[in-house]
Amino acid sequence: MANLKDIQRKIKSVKNTQKTTHAMKLVSSAKLKRTEELASQSRIYATKLTEVMDEIAKKMQDLGEDAHDNVFFKENENPKKVDIIFISADKGLCGGFNSQTLKHVNKLMDGFKADDIKVRLSGVGRKGVDYYKFNNVEMMREVIGLSSAPDYDKAAEFISEIVDAYANGETDRIIMVHNGYVNMISQEVREDQVLPIDASEVKEGVESHSELEIEPNDDSTLLVALTKKYIEFSMYYALIDSLAAEHAARMQAMDAATTNAKEMVKTLSIKYNKVRQEAITTELIEIISGVESMK
Amino acid sequence: MKLMKLEIVTPLGTIYDGEVKQITLPGSEGEFGVLPEHATLVSLLKTGVITVEIADSPKIDVAINSGYVKVSESKVTCIVDGAIALAAGDSDITEKIKKATDLLKSTGTPHAAIAASISKVEHIGKSF
Repeated sequence: MANLKDIQRKIKSVKNTQKTTHAMKLVSSAKLKRTEELASQSRIYATKLTEVMDEIAKKMQDLGEDAHDNVFFKENENPKKVDIIFISADKGLCGGFNSQTLKHVNKLMDGFKADDIKVRLSGVGRKGVDYYKFNNVEMMREVIGLSSAPDYDKAAEFISEIVDAYANGETDRIIMVHNGYVNMISQEVREDQVLPIDASEVKEGVESHSELEIEPNDDSTLLVALTKKYIEFSMYYALIDSLAAEHAARMQAMDAATTNAKEMVKTLSIKYNKVRQEAITTELIEIISGVESMK
Repeated sequence: MKLMKLEIVTPLGTIYDGEVKQITLPGSEGEFGVLPEHATLVSLLKTGVITVEIADSPKIDVAINSGYVKVSESKVTCIVDGAIALAAGDSDITEKIKKATDLLKSTGTPHAAIAASISKVEHIGKSF
């Protein structure tokens, strides 16, 4: 039977842990609010950008200049080399947040390998990078520190090299995997095809302006510039989305940890009382029996 | 008087959203003005200053680094990478002018090409 001091020490330690986890939960919820705000601001920009892009793609189709001939839209039926980009967190203690993303990446990689497709891996976030380093998986590009503080310029720089490789024909497809924010209590792993852009999505629901003028007059210049911007922004947005999901996941994990700690303090207190009671009883029996034997 | 809707958005949020009378934009092929009921147009924007004339309040200048504009008959949408709005009556106008100049300079375009925009911004600062 554990002695009283031990139990007391344990209770104290669990209580301290509880304080820490509770504080972490509060910090995460504050950060989540800020990230959510950032996301909603970016969403406006994303919507507008998509609108303009859809319209130009539509206009090109109307002109008979098929957007599908553009390298960014052309679907390669037999991809030989695929780039996978993943976004993980820089820090842990956020439940299954990182492992979910990495599990999905592994599944994708195995699938491609089975089809004899070469996979190159690029990643953002310390947790994912460390994981693949530990498993001796080669990474093409890695960035640490970007997922906890999304920065547009850094995100653009990161993705542009991968896009350039695609434009040069080094890879046939770019896929991005990240954990996305759904609401306060749930996240989902999102797998998006960055390039080639799915032209069927572009086609739908765009009103045609037959007299749309484009400056500079060379249509593809604008489309290429716009496509690059669109991809850069998708990357930035994915980072924000992932950060929001990370904070939500951490909030949840810390909330659960706090509840568990509370539960543990309760059980430990009961145990402490029982042991104390037992000790008193034993002592009493000893005294009484001592008195009895003196008679 | 006819008005049109103007929206200027950056990745970090909306800079301007409202009804305006006239807009002057730094297009990649040259500066151009837009009035309500302009023909539909999509254009690249280069580093420069967007001048917005609002019906009954003083004009607003927005320094931008680069972006796109989509003009339709009743609506103009500017999608820019970075923008600083300069309006009369701003309390921190000096700081904003400095930020705007930095933004223009940060684009890496040759100084000669943006000198006009910079002097425009500095001039705006003096006029308040």
